[in-house]
Amino acid sequence: MNYYITTDEKLRELVRTLAEQKWNIISADKQGTRFMYINDGKDLTVDAKARPTKVSAKQFVFPKSEPLFFFKKEHDDLKLIDPQAVQQKTVLFGAKPCDAAGLPIMEKLFNWDYKDEFFNKRVENTVVIGMACDYTDEYCFCTSVGLAPDSEKGSDVFLVPGADNHYVVKEVTPKGAAFIAEFKAIFSEAAQGDIKAVSRTQPAPEKKFNVDEVKNWLDGHFESEYWSKAGETCLGCAQCAFVCPVCHCFDIVDENCAADCGRRVKNWDACQFGLFTKHASGHNPRETQPDRYRQRVSHKFKYYQDKFGETLCTGCGRCSRNCAVGIDIAEIVANIPM
Amino acid sequence: MEALQKIAKEALASKEAAFIIGYARVPGSQKTRPFIARDEAEAGQLVFDEYCQNNLAVYLTRIARPKEGKMGIVAKSCDVRAIVALLQENQIKRNEVYIIGVNCSGVVEDPAQPLSKENLAGKCNMCQAPQPAGTDTVVGEAKPYERADDKVGKLLAQLDSLSPQERFAFWEAEFEKCVKCYACRQACPLCYCEQCIADKSQPRWIESSASVRGNFAWNMIRAFHLAGRCIGCGECSRACPADIPLMLLNRKMGMIAMKEFNYRHGSNMDDPTLVGSYNNSDRNDFIM
Repeated sequence: MNYYITTDEKLRELVRTLAEQKWNIISADKQGTRFMYINDGKDLTVDAKARPTKVSAKQFVFPKSEPLFFFKKEHDDLKLIDPQAVQQKTVLFGAKPCDAAGLPIMEKLFNWDYKDEFFNKRVENTVVIGMACDYTDEYCFCTSVGLAPDSEKGSDVFLVPGADNHYVVKEVTPKGAAFIAEFKAIFSEAAQGDIKAVSRTQPAPEKKFNVDEVKNWLDGHFESEYWSKAGETCLGCAQCAFVCPVCHCFDIVDENCAADCGRRVKNWDACQFGLFTKHASGHNPRETQPDRYRQRVSHKFKYYQDKFGETLCTGCGRCSRNCAVGIDIAEIVANIPM
Repeated sequence: MEALQKIAKEALASKEAAFIIGYARVPGSQKTRPFIARDEAEAGQLVFDEYCQNNLAVYLTRIARPKEGKMGIVAKSCDVRAIVALLQENQIKRNEVYIIGVNCSGVVEDPAQPLSKENLAGKCNMCQAPQPAGTDTVVGEAKPYERADDKVGKLLAQLDSLSPQERFAFWEAEFEKCVKCYACRQACPLCYCEQCIADKSQPRWIESSASVRGNFAWNMIRAFHLAGRCIGCGECSRACPADIPLMLLNRKMGMIAMKEFNYRHGSNMDDPTLVGSYNNSDRNDFIM
C-alpha cells in the first residue's frame, strides 16, 4: 500500500486539470444538499467535518432516471436506438465512508442474474476519492453495520485529514493507483509516518444494534405486532429510499418524446409507495404503511443478507435525518423486542 | 403539558376519541415527532412546545378511520386551518374529529437549535392568530414572539422582478434537483387524492422520470392543484430532501387568490371553496 501527501490547494488544481481533460467531476455542493457536477476548483467541497449531504451520491452510478433505449417509428417499421454509451471518465471527490461503501453493496444486486451494463460502466469509469469522516450526530450509525468513520470500502483513493490542510492519501485499489500515477504533480510520495493524521474531534458513532441479532429476529418475526407501531406514522413518501446510498429499486417505463418516438427509462422506485406492490387486480399484498415499513427494514437487514451476505445499509442516517415525521431506522431496529 | 395529557386521557377514557394524533418527544432529544396515542398510558407521552413543527392534519385523511369514537388531534392554529380546509372540502366531518387546540408561541425552523428570532419557522412569520379558534378545547398559553425577516416574501419579490426567462431559469435549476420522492405530496395535509394524477399510468399525464420535463410537470401541477387551497404550513418545503423552495410557489398562488378573489382557504368551515364556488363579481375579463 502506497501513501502520498496532498493539500486542499492541490486538489483544487487537480479539479482544474481534470476539467481541462473533460472529466466528469463530482463534489458535494456548498449547502450540503447533494453531490453535483463541478468544473471549477473553487467549487470543490472536501470537508471531513461536514454532515453527510441530504441526498447521497448514488445517482452518479445509478441515475434517478436513465434511458435504456429510444424508439422511433419509420414508415411501418420501428427503429431502436441505443443511448449514448457512458464513456466519460468520472471522479467523485470527498465521498464519506458511508457513501463510498454503497457502490460495492449495490454492485452485487446489479450483477446478480443480469449484468446491468449501465451501472457497471459507470462504476468502471468512476474513481472514488473517499475521505475519513469527522462528523457524528444522533442519526449516524455506521459502526452498527460493520463500517467506521475510516472505512475504505468502495474508495479507490482515500484521504485522511492531516495537519496544516494536508491530507494523507492512501491508494486503495489498482484503479486508484493508476489515477494517482496519472496525476503525479498532485500527490507527493510519502512514507506512512511522514504526516500525522489529525485525530478525530468527534467520537465515532455509538454502536446501536448488532446486525446478526437483528437478522435472527427478523427471520422469525414477519408477523410481529412490533410492525404495526413501528410504521404507524410513516406518510409513505420515498424520501428515505431516494436519499439512501444503497436503495436500488427501480421501475421501467416507456415515455413518448412525440407522436412517433419515445424512450424506455429506468427510474428510481421505492417500497414505501403504496403503488409499488399494487397488482393490476387492485389487490395489494402490502396494503398498509406498516407492511411497507416492515419491507424496508427486512430488505436492509434480512433479505439482502440472505441473498448477498451483506447488510443493505451503510449507517449514514440520511433516511432518518431527513424524515419529515422523525422515523429513525436505527432506533426502530435497536428497539426490536429481542 | 399536563393539561394536554389530562384532556387527552379524558377523551380516550370517555371514548370521545378513539385515538389522539399528537406529538411525542424523540428519546434523548428536545425534538418531537408525530405520535398516535391509543390509550391513557400513551396519552401520558404527549407533549407540545416550540419543537412541534409538524402539521398533524395530514394524518386525518391517511389514518384508518375508527369504527367508534372520533379522531382526536392536537392542533396549532395553522394546523386548525388545514383541518378547516379539509372540512370545507368535505374530506372529514366536524363530528368525526375531536380537536385539542394548543395555543402556540411559534415553532422552530431547525429543531436542533432553540427558538429564536433567527430560528423561527417561516410559517410563524405569516401567522395571523396564534390562538386556534373553533376547536373542542384549548390548552396552553400563547406568548407573543418576535417575528423574523420574511425570507420567502423577499425572495418572491425578487423573483417577481425577474423576466419570465430568468424566472424560468431559476425554476429549471430548482426542479433539476427534484428526485420525485413525492415527500411534498405525502407531507401535505391537502394532498389527499386517493389516486394522485402523478400515479396515473393510463394515460400517463405526468412522466414518472425525474428529468427536467417530468419534474416541471409534477411541480407545476402540484402548485396548480393547491392554488387557493394551500394553507401555508410549509410542510412540503420542510419535507423536501432536495431543498427546493416549494413555498415560493404556494405562497404566490395564495397571494393571487387573495388579490383576485379576496379568498383565504381554511378560514371558515362554512365558506365555500374558491374553485368550488362562483361569484358574479369574479373577474371574467380573461374570457373571450
